[in-house]
Amino acid sequence: MKSTFKFFCLAAFVSCCLLAASSAFAAKTIKVGIVDTYSGPASTYTNDVRDAFALAVNKINAAGGIFGQQVEFVTRDSKFKVDLGLSAAKELVMREEVDILMGTINSALALALSDFAKQEKIPFLATFAKSAKITGEKGHRYVFSMNENTAMIGKAAAAGLAKLPYTTYWIAGDDYEYGHAVADGVWENLKKLKPEVRLLGQSWWKVGEPDFTPYITAMLAEEPDAVIIATGGRDCVPFLKAAQTTGFNKLVPFYMHTATEISTLKPLGLTAPEGVIGTANYHSYYPDTEENKAFVAEFEKAYDRTPAVGALYGYITAQFISKAYAKAGEVNTEKFIDALEGLSVDSPVGTVTMRAEDHQVMLPMFMGMTTKVEGKQFLVASEIITIPAEESMPSLDEIRKARQL
Amino acid sequence: MELFTGLSFSVLCIQILVGLSKATILFIVASGLTLILGVLRIPNLAHGSLYMIGAFTTYSIATAFSQSSLGFWIALLLAPLIVALIGLIMEQGLFRFLYNRDHLMMLLFTFSFTLVFGDLVKLLWGSDYRSLAVPEIFQGSYSLLGMPFPRYNLFLLLLGPVFAAGLWFLTNRTILGKISRAAAVDREMVGAVGINVNRIYAAVFVLGCYLAGVGGALVAPTQNISQGMDHSIIIEIFLIVIIGGLGNVWGALLGAVIFGLTDAIGILVAPQFGIIFPYLAVITVLIFRPKGLLKSIW
Amino acid sequence: MISGVFGKKSLPLVVLFLVGLIFLPYAAPRFYIYLASVILVTGLLATSLNLVLGYGGLYQFHHAVFYGIGAYTTALMLTKTSLPTWVAFASAPVAAAFFGLLIGLICARLSSLHFGMLQISLGSLIWAIVYRWYDFTGGDDGIHGIPVPEAMSATTSSYYFILAITTLCLLLMFIIIKSPFGRILQALRDNPERCEAIGVNITRHRIIAMVIAALFAGAAGSLFVILEGSVFPELLSWTLSLEILIMCLLGGWFTFFGPMLGACLIISMRTFAGNYTEYWTLILGLMMMLTIFFLPKGVFGFINQLFSSKAPDLPLEESSHVAD
Repeated sequence: MKSTFKFFCLAAFVSCCLLAASSAFAAKTIKVGIVDTYSGPASTYTNDVRDAFALAVNKINAAGGIFGQQVEFVTRDSKFKVDLGLSAAKELVMREEVDILMGTINSALALALSDFAKQEKIPFLATFAKSAKITGEKGHRYVFSMNENTAMIGKAAAAGLAKLPYTTYWIAGDDYEYGHAVADGVWENLKKLKPEVRLLGQSWWKVGEPDFTPYITAMLAEEPDAVIIATGGRDCVPFLKAAQTTGFNKLVPFYMHTATEISTLKPLGLTAPEGVIGTANYHSYYPDTEENKAFVAEFEKAYDRTPAVGALYGYITAQFISKAYAKAGEVNTEKFIDALEGLSVDSPVGTVTMRAEDHQVMLPMFMGMTTKVEGKQFLVASEIITIPAEESMPSLDEIRKARQL
Repeated sequence: MELFTGLSFSVLCIQILVGLSKATILFIVASGLTLILGVLRIPNLAHGSLYMIGAFTTYSIATAFSQSSLGFWIALLLAPLIVALIGLIMEQGLFRFLYNRDHLMMLLFTFSFTLVFGDLVKLLWGSDYRSLAVPEIFQGSYSLLGMPFPRYNLFLLLLGPVFAAGLWFLTNRTILGKISRAAAVDREMVGAVGINVNRIYAAVFVLGCYLAGVGGALVAPTQNISQGMDHSIIIEIFLIVIIGGLGNVWGALLGAVIFGLTDAIGILVAPQFGIIFPYLAVITVLIFRPKGLLKSIW
Repeated sequence: MISGVFGKKSLPLVVLFLVGLIFLPYAAPRFYIYLASVILVTGLLATSLNLVLGYGGLYQFHHAVFYGIGAYTTALMLTKTSLPTWVAFASAPVAAAFFGLLIGLICARLSSLHFGMLQISLGSLIWAIVYRWYDFTGGDDGIHGIPVPEAMSATTSSYYFILAITTLCLLLMFIIIKSPFGRILQALRDNPERCEAIGVNITRHRIIAMVIAALFAGAAGSLFVILEGSVFPELLSWTLSLEILIMCLLGGWFTFFGPMLGACLIISMRTFAGNYTEYWTLILGLMMMLTIFFLPKGVFGFINQLFSSKAPDLPLEESSHVAD
């Protein structure tokens, strides 16, 4: 009896504390809420998004904000967990009353947030989640994607691979949605562009696989002309390592998205394998333009590290937000979305546009080959060919068909 | 390409060798876990974290000595000792007072260590990916039966039996091993004959942590050293320990070999479903022998 | 101690608290209604775990599996079939209970740590299947935008629905614990040898307890679908299982309301600590260490002990070594 009473007293006390902690009030600022993974292996990418975003926002605020209103942002760590991220997003929307939701490298969370944004009628700008479903099958008025997706990777890679003289392929990758989506994307498109290609087989490993040697020897045994590696994130590094050790890159040419990215190549230093074909959205050294150099210099000065692809996503997101509000003329969600559709902003990789129909940003893709360069401490991409967004984006018919399903 | 003649047999051989070299790391880490589980009865979830810390310290030490070609070897020597020291602090500072607690409490206590270690690694080493070069003499591959076989995997393959023999010697031929085996069966009895059980416990705990550190150090040159390494290994080594028989070092060896081989051969037989083979093996073992293949000392 | 909870004297208190919860949506901002729903769902899950863990003394290490199965059952029924909504919700506990029976049949003959470890491996296998089976479960992306009826999905109405079901489930669990079956379960925990000697079928009772706990976890899973409208493989992950174990621990697993309190503490602290720091897990880890070290009976258990002369139910640790 006594204890029951104590329990309820305690419960009442806790709920009082909760209420006291709710001191959120709406100030005269534009508030962006970022939910992303800041713990665990994926944080190497997400930190760049946040830092570049912060840098751009500071610059916007220093220049007087957006029609006099300062931009403010708050971050929440989802720890790569969907339930935590979803709770955090609800907290941001309901309690912090943010105007815009942004973030996440976790596709499952991005899809969940997209659904929540649709219910709440709040714009959600997805940064880094690569599922093509976000702006494809599950797209709607309130969701925007600020990066390439698996469909674009597939199309871009297929365009590049079709020019190469290989006909028999093997596909291997991370056994989760991203891996399968990239592999399917590349293969579907490659078959269209070059009908004589043949798939010898596939192998799939779990995310976080410690040793790739058994997979590599199994692939070598099948003697494919080339291999498509659909692996992402932290598995890129050990895969390249195993490829170097076994001489895989010399025996069989292989393609891997993000193989040429700095996040993958820098940890490996000079021990990375040469001649790996990769695609990436961004290189700090390419395109060799004034805008890109200025962007890199600014980022390096602020954070003492070279910006990776996430920095591009963070930067363009800030640009899109400020330009769209400026165009809308007021802080109004519906007008913001109308303004954002078809909007173009300047970026380190040139002018990029938000496609009005499916809310997918049109980013160019750079295909290159890993090469050692005199004076650099790690390998860089060379012989870069630019695949413009028009060639890599899924057609509007495809989007319409996917959304009708 | 002529390289791939005499295909299936040589591929199978290589695959088995690679599987065994993979099993070596699993065995070293799992034997540490099983020792602690057997003697101290602590289901140490923090074992994966110690393995991760081992890999990170190896990276830091090896890069600090990067101008010397011995960098990795110094790290291989020192890093596990640092992990063992962390283990000693854990044991003497905290676990020592909790031996009479329930297993569940111990499990949660070790889990709280995984949470703390996870965030400490993030604080100390940040979120960048790190990679360590394979030591010079083991760079590249041998051509074995026409297939490339990484020299470093050969090194691991040779190391496995060394550790197995060392552990056998330690548990069967030394006083410490004999007492700890006795303590695993009946702690009170060992205490009653005047042996300082606490010291034995501390020694076994430190040895277990040392093995986790060795595993982490050995895996460092082949892996992406990053946060999350702890999560990817801990369930695997727990499964290995279970199918081998809780607390049985030979069981850990057997479990690791089963795990490594089913994995490597699964990749060859049905590459698309490679990842489920080890789990199927575990379930098969557990349905027929729920207490593990070898005698559990529980 | 527990007998007081629904006894004559405390009945007014329970009613008072319930009334408070019923009127919460009129007093609190929307986010707190949502938070209260999260706490109720997670608390229900933790309480169902406590049924086998605290009262049954079983090492249910992977309880989240049943929660996930419940959530996925509801989600799949709602998205893939055109059956009425109530069928989707009713089938969740049934499916979870079925898996509880299955895992119970395999595990129940084992004792202590073997039981828990085997459960973790079986649970991980189910997780791996859900994670991989793209065509059916949506793989690691999960299923989003589940068509929960409008009348149930709005913040306030979902809160009332969750409150009603949670109250009902808690009441049922309480009745079960007080029933002869519940008493046998506690006796099994405290002294299995003696129970066996007087002719109690240990294995059968344990399996029944697991089925009941899985049933309620499945119900909590279907409530999660109402609350979030999404399901994803993490609902079956072993880390979630450990998190709810922590909730039971913090609240105290020798008390009926302890797990609910633990869920309340952890979820509210996590939400508000998350506003200030990325190192919430570090804080949680340290907090757990301190709790285990100094308050082995949990917060609620500790307060109990502090104020009442009557000792709470026999602590687990005194009995566990008998069971080895």
